[in-house]
Amino acid sequence: MSDRAEFLGSIRHRTQAGRYRPTNAPDVAWTRKGEPRESEPIDDPPARFIEELEALGGHGRCVGSLDEARECVLELAREREAKLLVRWDVEELDELGVDGPLGEAGVEVAVWRDLADFREVAEKAEIGLSTAEWAIAETGSLVLEHGPGKGRTVTLLPPTYVAVVPVERILRTVPEAIEKYAGGVLPANVCFHTGPSRSGDIEMSLFIGMHGPGDVHVVLVG
Amino acid sequence: METEKPARRRETEDRRNEGIASGVEGFNERARRAVNDQQLHDSIELFTHKSVAGRNAVLNALPEAPELRERAYRIKQETMANLDRYLEQMADAVEARGGNVFFATDGEDAVRYIGDLAREKGAKVITKSKSMATEEIELNRRLEEDYSDLGLEIVETDLGEWIAQLAGDTPSHIVGPILHMNRKRITEVLSRTAGEELPPDVEALGSFARRRLREKFVTADIGITGANFGVAETGTVATITNEGNARLVTSVPPVHVVVMGIEKLVPRFTDLSVFVRLLARSGTGQKLTVYTNFITGPRGEGELDGAEEFHLILMDNGRSKLLGTEFEEALYCIRCGACLNVCPVYRQTGGHAYGSTYSGPIGAVITPLLKGQGEAKDLPHASSLCGACWEACPVGIPLHDLLLKLRNQQVEEGLAGKAQEIAFKGFESTMKRPVLYRISSRAGRLAQKPLKKDRPLPGPLGAWTGSRDLPPLAEKSFRELWKEGI
Ligand code: SF4
Repeated sequence: MSDRAEFLGSIRHRTQAGRYRPTNAPDVAWTRKGEPRESEPIDDPPARFIEELEALGGHGRCVGSLDEARECVLELAREREAKLLVRWDVEELDELGVDGPLGEAGVEVAVWRDLADFREVAEKAEIGLSTAEWAIAETGSLVLEHGPGKGRTVTLLPPTYVAVVPVERILRTVPEAIEKYAGGVLPANVCFHTGPSRSGDIEMSLFIGMHGPGDVHVVLVG
Repeated sequence: METEKPARRRETEDRRNEGIASGVEGFNERARRAVNDQQLHDSIELFTHKSVAGRNAVLNALPEAPELRERAYRIKQETMANLDRYLEQMADAVEARGGNVFFATDGEDAVRYIGDLAREKGAKVITKSKSMATEEIELNRRLEEDYSDLGLEIVETDLGEWIAQLAGDTPSHIVGPILHMNRKRITEVLSRTAGEELPPDVEALGSFARRRLREKFVTADIGITGANFGVAETGTVATITNEGNARLVTSVPPVHVVVMGIEKLVPRFTDLSVFVRLLARSGTGQKLTVYTNFITGPRGEGELDGAEEFHLILMDNGRSKLLGTEFEEALYCIRCGACLNVCPVYRQTGGHAYGSTYSGPIGAVITPLLKGQGEAKDLPHASSLCGACWEACPVGIPLHDLLLKLRNQQVEEGLAGKAQEIAFKGFESTMKRPVLYRISSRAGRLAQKPLKKDRPLPGPLGAWTGSRDLPPLAEKSFRELWKEGI
C-alpha cells in the first residue's frame, strides 16, 4: 500500500529533478495554411439541434406550447403502448401536466421520489421522461444534471426516453455548455447525452439501443 | 451466469511485478502470422478504413482543430510539469465531496484495494466498463485468482469487451476491442453463451447482449470504470462511452470504483472542452460521444440512484518514471486510437501482434517504457517511422521521434539484437525516404514539398492541415516487403 505523501513526493521529485522540456509541440503555423475558416454558423439553434439529433437516429420536435408538448408525450406513450412511465420530480414536468392525462389513458406514472427500489421502477418503465438543464445545438446533445428528483436511470433504463426542454435553454456549442461549469461546483453527475445509445463493435455495423435507450425524443418548447 | 470462464491466462511469465500485462517478445513471429491471415487483414482494413474516413470528415469540419491540438498538448505539458500538485488537488476535491482516494503504486496495490473492498462489501457481481488501465493490470484475472474465495463474477459490459471476455480473448484495439473478430466468430461465441443458436445478424446479437448484460447491470454490487479524464479542480471523473455502459455501471450499483492512470488528469473542468471534442472526433468520428458523463463524488443527499460510495484509485504503475524525461510526451495520450488506425504496421498486423495491452504506435512506445526496454525490445522497431501516427495524434505526440529515441537507447544500452536488424532491414531501407522526410521536416518544419503528389493517402493529415499533401507511406508494397524482410 502506498502512502500518499510518499507517492506525491516521488512525483514531485521527478517533475523537478533534471527536468526535460519537450520542444516538439505541434506547430499551428505549420498545421494550417491560409486564413482560419469560420465555424459553420448556427443561424437557427432549435432547427440545428433537431437536425443533429435526427442525424444520430433520435427524434426532435419544436412545439409552440406546453399543451402541444403534453400531446407529444401522450402520443408517444400511446404509440409505444406504455404501461408505466417514470419521470423526474421537477417543476417543469409538473407544469407539463402529463400525469393526469396519462393516467386516464391507462399509463401509470411513477414520479422520482420516495421510491422503495428505484431499480424496479426504472427497469419496468417503458418510457423515461425528464427535462434538461441545457441543450446543445451543434451536436444535438442534452446536458442532464442529476440530483434529488432527477434520477440518472430515468434517462437510461427505459427503452424509450423523452426530454421536454424549453427552447431558451439551447446553447450553440459544446464549449458554451462546458463553460457553464467553469470553476464551479458540479452536481454529483452531469451527462452530455447525445442521441440514442449505440455500439459499432460488431463489424462496425451500427446497433442502436445497446445499453441505454435506443428510442430518444426531444420536445423543444418555445 | 456465463457458461464459460474467461480464460485470460497468456503463455507465461510472472507478472506480479509488472509494468503492463504482456508477453511482448516475439513481435516478428506474431506479425508474420498476422500478415498471412487474410481474414484478419480484411477485418482490420474494414475498421481502420472506416475510422480514418470518419475522423477526417469530422475533423475537417472543425476549423479550430489545429489550435485545439496545440492547446491539448500545452495543457498536458502543464499538467505533467505540476502533476504532484494536480494529483493532490484532485484527491482533496474528491474527498471534499465524500469520496475515497487511494494512491496505487502499481497494479498489485490496485488489485488489493479492490479485492479487499469486494470482501468488505460481500460483493458477488462486479460490472466493469471498458478500461485500458484495468486491462493493463489484468484486474479481472487477478481478482479471480487472488480472491477466488469470494467467487466474484466480473462482467465486462462494453459489447466488444464482453465478447472478448467470453471468448477468452483480449482487446486488439483501444477503441474497437474485437475488430479482429468477424461476425461468424462473434455469433459462435454469443451462441455458446446463450445456449442456443443465434442468427448471425447484428440486431439479434446486440439484443441478446443487451438483455443478458442488463441482468448484470441491475444486480451488480460494485461498478468499476476507468477514467477518460480526471479534473483536478473539481475532482470530476469523465467516462465516455457510446453504449451507455459506463453510465449504467456508475448509476446502478451502490459502489463505484474508478481506476485512473495518473496521467489522465487535466487541471480545470473547462480544459475538457478541448479534450472531449478531440477525443470523440479522433476516436470514432463523432462530434461528441453519446454518453459524455461527468461524475463528481458519490450521490448527493436525497438522490435515489448513483453510487453511494465513490472510490478513486490513482494508479502510477510505471508512469511517473517518464515524468521530466525525454519520453514524457508519451503520457499525453488520450487513448483515442487514431494512431493505430493510420499506422501501416498496425494495419498489416493488427493489435495482438504487439503482444501488449497497448498496440499500434502508442503501444510500441509505452509498452517498453512502462515495462522496461529489456522486455519489449521488438516493439520500437514495429514502425516505419513514417510519422502518420504523429500527424493523426490529437495531442500532437511525436510518436515516431519517441520510437527513434527508444531505438537509440537500445543501441546505447547494448540491447539492440540481431533479430531487429534482420527483421526490419528490408523494410526500413525502403522507407528511407519517408523517414528522412519526416525527421527533417520535424526539425526544419517548413519543407512543404511532398515527395509524390499523386498519392493522397486516406489523409490523417488532411484534417490538421487542409492543404498539405501526405508523403507516401508505400503502403501497397509494404506487405510484400514485409514478407521478404522477415
Ligand atoms: S498517441 Fe495520440 S493518436 Fe495515439 S491513441 Fe494516444 S492520443 Fe490517440
